[in-house]
Amino acid sequence: MAVNLTVNGDERLLDIDGDTPLLWVLRDELGLKGTKFGCGAGLCGACTVHLNGQPVRSCSTPVELASGGQVVTIEGLSDGDRLHALQDAWIEHGVPQCGYCQSGQIMSAVHLLANNPTPSRGEIVAAMTGNLCRCGTYSRIIAAVESVVVSNTSDSSQGREA
Amino acid sequence: MVMNRRSFLKVSTGASGSLLVSMALPGCAGIQTGYEPDTGKWRPDAWLELTADDEVFFTLARVEMGQGTYTGLTTLIAEELDIQPDRINLRFAPVGADYQNPLYKLQLTGGSTSIATSWEPLRMAGAKTRKMLMKAAARVWNVNEAECRASEGRVIHPNGIDFMAYGKLVELAAKEDVRGDAVLKPMSDWKYIGKHRGKLDARAKSTGTAVYGIDVDLPGMVYGVVSRSPRRGGRVEKVNSDQVRAMTGVLDVFEIERGVVVVADKYWRARKAQDALEVDWDFSDAVSVSTDDVFDSYRTAADDDPGESERSEGSFASAVEMGDRVVDAEYAQPYLAHATLEPMNATAWYREHRMEVWAPTQAPDLGRIAAARATDLGPDDITINTTFLGGGFGRRLTQDYIEEAAAVAYRIRRPVKVIWSREEDTRHDLYRPAMLHRMKASLSGSELTGWHHQIVGPQILDWYVRNAAPAQYPWAPKFMYDTLGTIGLMAEGIATPKDISAIEGAIEYPYRVANIDIRHTHTDPGIPITWWRSVGYSHNGFAVETFMDELAHETGEDPYQFRRRLISHEPRHLEVLERAVRLGGWQSPVPQGRARGLALFRSFGTYVAQVVEAGIENGAVRVYKVTCSVDCGQVVNPRIVEDQIEGGVLFGLTAALYGEITLENGEVQQSNFHDYPLMRQYERPEVVVDIVESNESPTGVGEPGVPPVIPALGNALFALTGKRQRSLPLKAHV
Repeated sequence: MAVNLTVNGDERLLDIDGDTPLLWVLRDELGLKGTKFGCGAGLCGACTVHLNGQPVRSCSTPVELASGGQVVTIEGLSDGDRLHALQDAWIEHGVPQCGYCQSGQIMSAVHLLANNPTPSRGEIVAAMTGNLCRCGTYSRIIAAVESVVVSNTSDSSQGREA
Repeated sequence: MVMNRRSFLKVSTGASGSLLVSMALPGCAGIQTGYEPDTGKWRPDAWLELTADDEVFFTLARVEMGQGTYTGLTTLIAEELDIQPDRINLRFAPVGADYQNPLYKLQLTGGSTSIATSWEPLRMAGAKTRKMLMKAAARVWNVNEAECRASEGRVIHPNGIDFMAYGKLVELAAKEDVRGDAVLKPMSDWKYIGKHRGKLDARAKSTGTAVYGIDVDLPGMVYGVVSRSPRRGGRVEKVNSDQVRAMTGVLDVFEIERGVVVVADKYWRARKAQDALEVDWDFSDAVSVSTDDVFDSYRTAADDDPGESERSEGSFASAVEMGDRVVDAEYAQPYLAHATLEPMNATAWYREHRMEVWAPTQAPDLGRIAAARATDLGPDDITINTTFLGGGFGRRLTQDYIEEAAAVAYRIRRPVKVIWSREEDTRHDLYRPAMLHRMKASLSGSELTGWHHQIVGPQILDWYVRNAAPAQYPWAPKFMYDTLGTIGLMAEGIATPKDISAIEGAIEYPYRVANIDIRHTHTDPGIPITWWRSVGYSHNGFAVETFMDELAHETGEDPYQFRRRLISHEPRHLEVLERAVRLGGWQSPVPQGRARGLALFRSFGTYVAQVVEAGIENGAVRVYKVTCSVDCGQVVNPRIVEDQIEGGVLFGLTAALYGEITLENGEVQQSNFHDYPLMRQYERPEVVVDIVESNESPTGVGEPGVPPVIPALGNALFALTGKRQRSLPLKAHV
């Protein structure tokens, strides 16, 4: 079937089986390999992308349900060499070990901060709990997110728009 | 001390034994290369390439699977070459004798050995190259080389002002001879070792650009999936191939040794076609055991066979006779899956009598053997390209996934990627073996006078030798592969290293006890097994440190004081123990509803003591805090050491709280993260990692965080509930 998607700002028209999970469309049809396959069942979060501003498990989202939608992947967070503040924080804090889950982790964190620029520790933990990390980078993830929260806090205290 | 169980084979394997010994290749012999005038490239050794354009390339021979070789080994080279680590470009090593792990004579990444085995050779490679560059610069300037210095990729003139970039010097430096001249920097001159906290792969891994095996993309690539027998050893009896072959996008359906392959133009179409596949399996030769049968067979074996003596000191029997009581306990541990977040996968392309493979593998030379087995090709016809690994933990030391992909590619004759589903990855893993431990101790008053440990279960070499032995003889004809495996097993402990996978961590029992008897009853129920993060230490750590805790309570002594008294002769054990106890607040009151447990354990040369603070909340075990004191010798990258220890703790806690693969009539019962769960963010305890400052050579950190946390948590739960849990996983209520 014909599927129309806007991916990281680019409009894409695809001829694809409608039941194909969005994950495989992104990876194999559009060459966006940053989004990972982990479990195929929405349990690990490695495939997390944003669909119409909401984080979704792309491994369990048939592409026909995403048709007409706006998709943002890890590749869509940066602007050339300019990375998203959370990506900079991830690098600064040396979060990744094997790194395989980190695209999904970052996409969950980006969604959290987009909607709540100054979450509490509990809110961060709750938002990140759907993303598994087998290497055990959880504490660095919290530290990285909180470092951006701190700069958001100081930004807003200076009266700037977050 | 360690008895050789197969010494009787020494004579009969004499001839082949010498063959085996002759294969002991030097681990770090340099390739005879130099400067290429056409390209401006200079390769002073197998690892480094410097170019006239002032670029530096480093060939990484230990794969990056999250444990930090990408940064750690680069830091070693960078330090002695004297260049910023982030200016070095990395390449993953092809198969080559220069890239073997000298401990195993195989090109494998495992055993927490990368830093330890690279510490001298990589620094020396950097130092030699720096020396050559400095000599060349001194010659150009006509000054004394000793008055020049190197810094940040440049040689600096004795006047302190003029300098030359390394790139300008490569052509001249290639001609310098520094044999024996190069010396390593004194510790006081280190700029990066022990100080560098960055991770060179963090950017690629935070932007989705790091290429893992599953990300490999080739022109015209197709996708393969494999339906494997649900019970090991099952064979395809009947399959509806024709029906499935007619489905949209399906290119082929065929049998390989391991099962039925569906190849399609798209991954999802291959999966849909696989769903339509109806396979009748012939289970006449298949495994049919259930988990209970495995442990029953272990108990029978333990009763029938006291096992091979692996360490014997004094006389345990007379200790029992002289003592006033004997304490015994039996511990049982389940099969465990690896659950790397990147499922098994490999991509292969067969054309013009050559095969190229792209795979996340911990052992590319074994991968080559695996691909050769699946085809009519020899190892020399096969190239293995290694990618980033989305976790390894020992799983990717076994090359079954490359063997499958090679078999598929050999038939399809176009690039094909074979991806395992999570369910396939869980059910067709090779597991950490289920093990049984029988412990006995003799006590005389409050004195521990005898220690008896009987380990019951399989050993991993029996499963691993199949491809490991041929990989040591890549020139051997393929019909010899299975024979080499057999010889490898027969020569184990003679010409090849003894397999200590079942007994490691038990035979090094460190406490001061006069009478020690440690035995292994070797029994194998036929369930595939392999290396799993911390291997034998993972189960022996639980047995030894839980039993020590039981004995402390038996004698009425504080578990810390009990250990401390018996380990006072081992200064490095003692120091981490005392530090963990102090930092973990062992002697301070514990908050209401919580308790603390302790364990002390050395593995892979690294000493770790841990204090766990745990409780029970809403009917579930809750771990609040884990304090780890670690002595791993000199530290190359402090952040990576902290991460590896903390990651090991979470890996161990996942095993302690959830880890259990069970079998029902030969079939694995678990499939995905709902029934084989991993610790999640909300369950994460606070982990404090305290690193002992040391001048000793560095030892591994990838695995040593795992073993002690399992008994430390069990000991905390005993302190909390008064009930001792002797089998894993641990439960909130028993």
